[in-house]
Amino acid sequence: MPEQRVVDADELILRTERQRKFITGAQAMAEAVKRANVDVAIAYPITPQSEVMHLVGDIWAQGYIRDYYRAEEEYGAMSAIAGAVRGGARAFSATSGPGLLRGLEAIASWPGHRIPVVLGVLTRVVNAPLSIQPDNVEISYLLNCGMVVLHAENQQDVFDFTLAGFVISEKVDVYIPVAVCTEGFFVTHAKGYVNITPEELKLPPRDPYKAPVPPTDCEIPPARIQRDAPVQKSNFMSYLIHAVWQQEIWSSNKRAMRYINHYLGGPIEVVNPGAEVFIVASGCAAAQGREAVRYANMEGLNVGLVKVKSIRPFPEKQVREVLSNAKAIIVPEHNIVGWLAKEVKACIPNSDAVIGGPRVYGGMTLPVELIMERVYDAFGIKKSKKVVV
Amino acid sequence: MPAEILPGPSGYIPIPAVFEDVELSPPGYGLFFGQIVDELTAMREAAKAMLTRRNPTIFPGPKILWGWNAHAMEEAKAILELAAEIPNCRIIPMPDYRPKYPKIDPEAEINPNHPNLTILHNKIEACIFVGVHCHYANLSLRMIRAGTNCFTIALCGELGHEDAMVSIRDLTPEKIRRFREVLIQVREELGISHTPTPPPENPSLPKEEFQTLSVLDYGEYSYLLIPRKDEQVTDTE
Amino acid sequence: MGLEYVRISPGFERYMPKDYVDLVQYGQFGKEVDIQQLGQFKELVEEHPMCAGCFMAYFIRVFYAALPKPEDTIVIGTAGCARLALSQAAVPFIYGNYGDTNAVASGLKRALKIRFPNKPKDVVVIAGDGGLIDIGFGMTMHSWFRRENFTTIMVDNEVYGNTGGQESGMSPKGVQLKMAPKGKQFEKINAVELAKTAGCVYVAKLSPTNPKRIAKTVRRAVLAAREFGPTFIHAYTSCNIEYSIPTEKVLEDARKREKQDFGFYEWMTDEVKEFFEELERSPQEVKT
Repeated sequence: MPEQRVVDADELILRTERQRKFITGAQAMAEAVKRANVDVAIAYPITPQSEVMHLVGDIWAQGYIRDYYRAEEEYGAMSAIAGAVRGGARAFSATSGPGLLRGLEAIASWPGHRIPVVLGVLTRVVNAPLSIQPDNVEISYLLNCGMVVLHAENQQDVFDFTLAGFVISEKVDVYIPVAVCTEGFFVTHAKGYVNITPEELKLPPRDPYKAPVPPTDCEIPPARIQRDAPVQKSNFMSYLIHAVWQQEIWSSNKRAMRYINHYLGGPIEVVNPGAEVFIVASGCAAAQGREAVRYANMEGLNVGLVKVKSIRPFPEKQVREVLSNAKAIIVPEHNIVGWLAKEVKACIPNSDAVIGGPRVYGGMTLPVELIMERVYDAFGIKKSKKVVV
Repeated sequence: MPAEILPGPSGYIPIPAVFEDVELSPPGYGLFFGQIVDELTAMREAAKAMLTRRNPTIFPGPKILWGWNAHAMEEAKAILELAAEIPNCRIIPMPDYRPKYPKIDPEAEINPNHPNLTILHNKIEACIFVGVHCHYANLSLRMIRAGTNCFTIALCGELGHEDAMVSIRDLTPEKIRRFREVLIQVREELGISHTPTPPPENPSLPKEEFQTLSVLDYGEYSYLLIPRKDEQVTDTE
Repeated sequence: MGLEYVRISPGFERYMPKDYVDLVQYGQFGKEVDIQQLGQFKELVEEHPMCAGCFMAYFIRVFYAALPKPEDTIVIGTAGCARLALSQAAVPFIYGNYGDTNAVASGLKRALKIRFPNKPKDVVVIAGDGGLIDIGFGMTMHSWFRRENFTTIMVDNEVYGNTGGQESGMSPKGVQLKMAPKGKQFEKINAVELAKTAGCVYVAKLSPTNPKRIAKTVRRAVLAAREFGPTFIHAYTSCNIEYSIPTEKVLEDARKREKQDFGFYEWMTDEVKEFFEELERSPQEVKT
């Protein structure tokens, strides 16, 4: 059993001095789990998240996690997570692409059950046809179930969001699951610099009695409880009961914004706020966007970046304010449907300014030149030759 | 600007306070009509409501009804002391959260699946929720705000409730006792005289003894309980 | 703990509704009850909306009276008819998505083992034939392969009763039900053999005609699951609506099936056998 000292969450996440390591995204996620005082982790293989759960398994074998097993399939894994969390444990699991969709019945019901858990979503192409390569269309399936959805740009974000995710999800006025999404392979299997907290420090254990719902452990009343009975209007239930329940979930989702501000420094990051042309991106498209801003600034073009960290709750007010004077808004994405562009368009009055692209999908990388094409278009600059990659 | 969360009825479906930018208060503060105010103001407004509106009722929830630890029992005692100071106060418990079949007795209990049954039946215009887990309290508060004109007060052990007219957070037995003192003071300011009396007991508790109960007490239903030998009961209601 | 959370805070006894006061005073918590006394103590189950003549409702009543330690038991159910009665009982009940009972039970039991290593917390799954053997098949079997420590009780009414009477894997061959207008094409699944192969340490099959037998089987299954591994009870609980059994003939039908294919059958590993012999030799029940 390794020696770890419990430290207050704020202390650990915000103030503890960190060490610099050069690790993959999968390692970053596992390192966060190691420091998060997790009780139960349940695994099921699917590329590319298997790496994360392998490492979490190793951590269990070393004694940092109290229980771990491989389930029979994702629906079983996610249901077991629901059972474990209701029993009062802190849990973690990860999945990708078709695995997320297979487990979605259970995952989509977690918010309604008030299950605080962190789910790693390491995105990959959704069938058909099958491919194991990166594509984050699966995030669009998560957007309407009520859980908090965070999108990590790089390995550092993966570590930070996962560690903070446990704290955010267990806040009494939130108490819904947090999905930490990032691109498979581009982030999970590539190495980057991560400032991580010391291994000897861990988060305080979960207190299941400091919660908006009682845990099912026969230690807290009421005894005669079905915490979340089937509810539908009848002579013994109000016609409003399901509606107000859903409202509670979405209220909790909104309340999470306060903690995203506190632990993650806000739901968006803005580079060059005075720009006329903005690149709005999330996940590793934001890393490419950052590069594009650098290129543009080298050429004297006033381009800014809005990196969106939190997809749910979506930072409508902040995005609207930053983009209020933008004449063009470029939204590069790693999916065909353009879910981020839709979110942006929905919250600003000048949605015509949004250029829904460039988009790459099916495992393609996003070259900076592709973004620069749109930047030049936005400024009306004609380049003599087309980009060939 | 957070909206004002006033007593209802607000309509067919309530808009949650959080959707209208109401935020929970920081420690040491409370909420009054959705606005952040200091705790004393919140307590005074709550006291005023309980003293001036009809049929004030306290709804204790499972966290204090059941004596699962010393803290719960201490809070229970403090709530009973508070109830004695409110004229015409009743206590209607919320003993659990599951939907009760076929229907609750609205004079005997309140349930988060259908709280407006109890509010409307008893014509309650001011109520205090205490010892209820936050999720179920929020459901109840919204349903009450949608369909009744009841003034709701939430005494919360955690962070408070945006959908109540008054929300007080970080509840402890000491805070309940402080609220009681504020209430006594407001009562004197309003010129209401009252000697502390415990609220009336639950109307469902029987006056009769089981030992003297006989089959004949069930009237026409007695044959359903004990069918005669070889009798097949085929009639249904 | 356990018993502490079913006592009323001092002072609130006169404000609690009658059925809660009765539950605490005349109920099963902390007491030994004999199944023959059913009707003389406050049962854990309250009024429920199950059909008149539903044999599952009767089985569930006896089940609750037979629990060795109701104050530390958690029941898990799923979509179906059983949950209508299970949700009205004074034992915490979890209702998840359809068919996930055994996965939820696996996670729950493991979490409880971590949090309360020295205190038995009984987890019992009660679900129907559809939930356990059709839609939940993978999760059911794998929870047994993994030797998870909880009890599974299949209340088999041989049909999807709650959704209107569709054919189920446990329906007998040839019976005509909805979604099987030409009759069921394949045999009734042998759940007991599947359970044995998958690794259950105690398996029982019964038709609930004898309350003492039901109580003993339930008790054995729950106690064996604490130490030894997964246990399984296959109970025939008819659906008088979908199979058109007049209410007064339901017990007769159960007796008939007992003679046919639901004769009482019990199988256990040697370890479990020894454990029961030890246990039932001394008249004091194990309340640990």
